[in-house]
Amino acid sequence: MSLSDRSHAIELILAFADDKHLMGQQHAEWIGVTPFLEEDLAFCSIGQDELGHAALLYELLVDEDDEAAIDGAIDALAFGRSADEYRSCHFVELSTDDWAEAFVRHWMFDLADRLRWEAVASSTNEALRDIAARVEREELFHRMHADGMLDVLLESDEGRCRLRAATEKMAPLALAMFEPVEGETQAVADGVIDRPFAERRDEFVAAVEARVGPIDWGEPPSQDGRRVRSADWAPLMARMREVFELDLEARW
Amino acid sequence: MIGLELAVHEAIASVDDPEYPGVSIVDLGLLERLDVGADGGVRVGLIPTFSGCPALDMIKADVAAALAAVDGVRSVEVVWLSAQVWSVDRIDAETRAAIGREFTVSIRMPDGRSLCPLCGTETVELSMFGPSRCRSVHRCEACAETVEVMRS
Repeated sequence: MSLSDRSHAIELILAFADDKHLMGQQHAEWIGVTPFLEEDLAFCSIGQDELGHAALLYELLVDEDDEAAIDGAIDALAFGRSADEYRSCHFVELSTDDWAEAFVRHWMFDLADRLRWEAVASSTNEALRDIAARVEREELFHRMHADGMLDVLLESDEGRCRLRAATEKMAPLALAMFEPVEGETQAVADGVIDRPFAERRDEFVAAVEARVGPIDWGEPPSQDGRRVRSADWAPLMARMREVFELDLEARW
Repeated sequence: MIGLELAVHEAIASVDDPEYPGVSIVDLGLLERLDVGADGGVRVGLIPTFSGCPALDMIKADVAAALAAVDGVRSVEVVWLSAQVWSVDRIDAETRAAIGREFTVSIRMPDGRSLCPLCGTETVELSMFGPSRCRSVHRCEACAETVEVMRS
C-alpha cells in the first residue's frame, strides 16, 4: 500500500491492529489455566488468529522492502511505541483473572469486531479489503465457539447469573470499541469504510441483549479517541515485552 | 526455460508441510503463484492456511532454500499472499487419502461432514479447536477412535 493510500487510514488501521494485538495477548495468558481443556485449545487458536491479523495490519503501515527490516518494523510497531502512540481500546487492555469475564470479553469482542470489519468488506483500500475477507473467514470460528459455549452456560441458573454479571461489567468497555477514530469521517468519505463505526453500536447492544437479556450498559470510559491508556495497559505491555526486551537485536 | 520451470516447481513441491512430514505444500494447495523469469529470477506466492499459523516463516525459509539449490535460479522471492483465502477444497483426493492413512487426520468435505479415516463412518465433533489452528477434534463412534479433522 502506498503512503498516500493509507495516510488517512493510519489511525483506523492502528485501532484495528492494536485491539487485535492486545486481545491476542489476553487470550494467550489463559493458556494452561482455563477451567477445561477445550477452552484452552480454543483460546490458544483464537489468540493465534488475533495475533496473526495484528501482524498483517501492522505490515500495512511498514515501508521497508527487506524482509528482516519488515519484521523489525512490525516488532517496533507492536512493542516499541510509547503509551500515547497506541490506539487500543480499554476493553482489550483490561486484565482479569475471572474466567467468566475473559469468556464474555471473547464473545463480545468478536461480536463487535465483526460489525466493525463489515465496514471494511467493500473498502476502496484493496489491502484492507483482502484482510477483511481473511479475518471474517477465520473469526467465523470464534463466533461459533462463543455462541456454542453460551448455549451451554445459559442452561443453568448459575451460568446465567455469572454471565449477566460479567456482561454488565464488560458492557461499558465494549461499547467504547465503537468510539470514532481520528480521520474516520475522511475514511468514510474516501470509501475506506462504508459507514462510521458508531452506527453499528445499537446492533451490538441488541445482539448482546438477545443472549443475556436487558442489562445496564453504564458509561463508556473516557478514551479520547483511543489516545488515553487505562491503568492495566502498562503492566500488560510489560508482560508482552518481557521476552522481547531480553535481546533487542534478536531475530524472532 | 521449460526445464527450469519444471525444476523450480519440483523444488517447491519437495517442501513438506511441517505438520505433515511427507506431504508436500503443493499438494495441500498452498502454492498460488509461480513466476520464473528468463533471467533466473523466481517469485513464489503462497497462501497461508490461517494467518496466525506459526509455521509460515519456516515454510517460507524451506521454499527459499529449496529454490536456491536449483541450477539456473539467480534470485528468489517468496511471499505470503493475503488476497487469496485458503480452503481445504484445495487439497486433492490423493492427498486427502494419504493424510487420512498416515496421520489419522480427516479432511472436512465440502458438504461439511467428515469421515473417519479408518472406517469411513461420519465423525462427531468434540471440540471445534484442536492441537493446531487448522484442526478440530472429532470422534468416530463406530471405532471409538479420536479423529482430528482439518478444516478451513
